[in-house]
Amino acid sequence: MQQILAIARLTFRAAYRFKLVLILSLVLLGGVVLLPLVLEGDGTAQGFAQIVITYTLSITAALLAISTLWLACGTLAGDVEYGTIQTITVKPVSRWRVWLGKWLGVMILNAVLLGLAGAFTFGAMKWRATKLPPEQRQVLDNEVLVSRASAKPPVPELDKAVDQLTKQRLEESSAADLNEELLRQQIRIQLEAQIQTVPPKYSRRWMIDLGAAADDVRDQPLFLRVKFQTSRSMMETLESIIYDTAWRVGPVDSPSTWRTNRSLTANAFHEIRIPAGMLDNEGKLRVEVGNPNDEALMFPLDNGIEVLYREASFGVNFIRGLLIIYFWIGLLAAVGLAAASFLSFPVAAFCSVTILILGMSTGLMSRVVSEGTVLGVNHETGEAGSSFIDWFAVPFFKAVLEVVGFAKGFSPIDALSTGTSIPWSEVGLAFFRLIMVMSGFAAALGMIIFTRRELATAQLSR
Amino acid sequence: MAVTVDKQELEKTSGNGAHSDVVVAVRGLTKVFKDFWGRSKARAVNDVDFEVYRGEVFGLLGPNGSGKSTTIKMLLGLLYPTKGHIEVFGHSPRHVATKSRIGYLPEESYLYRYLDSRETLDFFGNLFRLSPEDRKERITQLLEMVGLAQTQTRVVGEFSKGMQRRIGLAQALINDPDLVILDEPTAGLDPIGCREIKDLIVSLARRGKTVILSSHLLADVEDVCDRVVVYFGGRIHAMGTLKELLATPDSIRMTMPALPKETLERVLEIIRRDVADDRIHIDTPEQSLESYFLDIVEKARGEALETSGALSGGTVAPYLRGESEQERKQRVLERLTHTGEKTAEEEKAPSEKHEVKEEVLNKLMEQERKAAERPLESGTKDKEKEEKEAQREKVDLSKANEKLSSLTKRERED
Ligand SMILES: Nc1ncnc2c1ncn2[C@@H]1O[C@H](COP(=O)(O)OP(=O)(O)O)[C@@H](O)[C@H]1O
Ligand SMILES: [Mg+2]
Repeated sequence: MQQILAIARLTFRAAYRFKLVLILSLVLLGGVVLLPLVLEGDGTAQGFAQIVITYTLSITAALLAISTLWLACGTLAGDVEYGTIQTITVKPVSRWRVWLGKWLGVMILNAVLLGLAGAFTFGAMKWRATKLPPEQRQVLDNEVLVSRASAKPPVPELDKAVDQLTKQRLEESSAADLNEELLRQQIRIQLEAQIQTVPPKYSRRWMIDLGAAADDVRDQPLFLRVKFQTSRSMMETLESIIYDTAWRVGPVDSPSTWRTNRSLTANAFHEIRIPAGMLDNEGKLRVEVGNPNDEALMFPLDNGIEVLYREASFGVNFIRGLLIIYFWIGLLAAVGLAAASFLSFPVAAFCSVTILILGMSTGLMSRVVSEGTVLGVNHETGEAGSSFIDWFAVPFFKAVLEVVGFAKGFSPIDALSTGTSIPWSEVGLAFFRLIMVMSGFAAALGMIIFTRRELATAQLSR
Repeated sequence: MAVTVDKQELEKTSGNGAHSDVVVAVRGLTKVFKDFWGRSKARAVNDVDFEVYRGEVFGLLGPNGSGKSTTIKMLLGLLYPTKGHIEVFGHSPRHVATKSRIGYLPEESYLYRYLDSRETLDFFGNLFRLSPEDRKERITQLLEMVGLAQTQTRVVGEFSKGMQRRIGLAQALINDPDLVILDEPTAGLDPIGCREIKDLIVSLARRGKTVILSSHLLADVEDVCDRVVVYFGGRIHAMGTLKELLATPDSIRMTMPALPKETLERVLEIIRRDVADDRIHIDTPEQSLESYFLDIVEKARGEALETSGALSGGTVAPYLRGESEQERKQRVLERLTHTGEKTAEEEKAPSEKHEVKEEVLNKLMEQERKAAERPLESGTKDKEKEEKEAQREKVDLSKANEKLSSLTKRERED
């Protein structure tokens, strides 16, 4: 431990002595404090959240990501290139400890910088909030500067029904060449559509269980977060089409049932504030929506409807968000060090930046994978292009997506700017996946290569 | 210089004596540098065998690019052999724990440029898991020893090459290593620095430490090494003790105060009876440039001139001598109160007298130090060495006596 710490301190000190810390802090402060001051919000709470939270935290994360990759690659590859590693590894210190020490050093630096940037963001946010018009401040306090957890209706168990229907259909059908897998998929889609859809002039009801949190939030206002699609809205994605909706919330038999009519755009999230006291005795919220339009409304199973309730203070949530950002940076540091374990600085930096970009362009990759080609589908003829690149690009992208998918979904900035609670369980999961599994994998790889490697073969002279 | 010796003879010379403590054993060591595609670029070390024993100063001598550094890096596990086998303290060079017994001075200054000398040594002390107190004490002593106590707060990147070597040396010794490997230790050092390093090497060896050093400077090797191998083109071309390699057994050299002409004539006449005139050579011994330079600096230091460069430290760090400063002073004091008595040891070490020509206290401290070290030196190796040294002188003298007496006898007979 003494050895690891000594190396960590040295790594941090290197960054410090080379003025990296100073410059990064300045850039961060510039990005976090000054730029947002110049940018005028539109005076709404949402605009505020956009600038102060999304914007500054994204800049912080991006800057730290780049500097971390640079530093992680530089600290190890530089030691090898300048030969300083030779004076270290002839001491009784295992090479994995050297590796780990470097990682720790980078992470200490990041902790300092992220802490600074976080504190400033938080301060700037509190200060700017005082400048909003009063009614927007209320929205801000209710919807943004909060930490709201969400409860969703249970996703219905379809597997059994799908099995049964498939079997039935197969028995009925005389065609022997019916593809069972395809049939199963179709049946599932049909079933899901049935559940999601609220036909014209019909209504639909959800029972949303707030579980253990129910008692704490019984006398608080709740928020319904909804999103729906229609067949027309899905075709014309550019236009926002408005639909009327009628909502009824609260226990059926109770006189305190609460009603409201809203005109909402399709394909977007909307929040409806529900007064306190609408939960039933079992902690369940009954929500019913009526569809007066001539079109069917479709509430997606995964995020069509959820109930938001206050779970913790915004400050706590903010720290949890920063923690997740910190884990992401930890992963990048591990990737950079792993690359530098066997590559020279420029090559290692190039490779790890490439990995970073690959990780961020998952949208493109998932399109390629789903269409099965890099050339894209010609939408007029419906014909898919094909090229020899597909032969390896598609499986490669598939693999990358598999890996990225494992880490994805931890997007604390989104959560913070929408006031969504990031539960501790999610922080734990992020730690487990990003640090223990993925960084651990990169570290194991890097340590093994670094331990086996000859360290005195190539040196730059200064 | 490159003496070619055949293999059998090599084995004979290296296998002499009953050395039980093999510190480094190298067998059939070969290193071929390959490029990215696995094609061989250079055969830096080619089928090398040698063994280094505890307590000896072992020199790798050879011209630039002959494979000395490559050999050393393989001993330290920084490079892996293409073929062959290495054991250091009975372990592979990649064995981590063994490294706590090794100190290494690389051929270039592979130090962190942004650390100052104290931070540098502290960092390496941490890698040896030394306690804070140990680190503090040793660092102070080491900086004193390498003459950098004055420049503690300047970063190593600003140091001159020689000063960087000095820090390099200090970091190599922070763990009080049993095996010290020095790659061209005198490169970039001023003559005082060279002298000090050589003194240090000798005093390390006296404490039973093993020293391996590489150099292309013959003087370095000649002054301190017990045994050398001579490299050329990655192969060993000669191996043995300096005496074996350099002795020219059929000639002698006498040095004496200038004689009156007629006495000299008489002596020469006597010699001429035995030897042809052209085989006798007479000259005034010249002071070497090294000792001349050292004299001048010694004087300047006496006048306490200031320098921004490295000072000469001179005294070996106490912990490297295996005795604390306190103990040492105490002993000297005791000694001063019991004047006059000479110990047997002092009398046994007449060869060391010429080193000490300063004030009485210094002299006493010095002698005291040596006397104190002797019992601490573990093993018989050192005694053996001393005896050998003494013997060597005796042999030389007795030979000279023999010759002289035989000469005079003949004269009388005539
Ligand atoms: N990393 C390396 N790659 C290729 N060749 C090398 C490398 N290091 C040393 N050599 C070659 O090996 C030979 C021996 O070098 P070295 O051991 O450094 O010599 P020296 O005896 O001067 O210390 C030289 O010819 C040198 O060019
Ligand atoms: Mg060399």
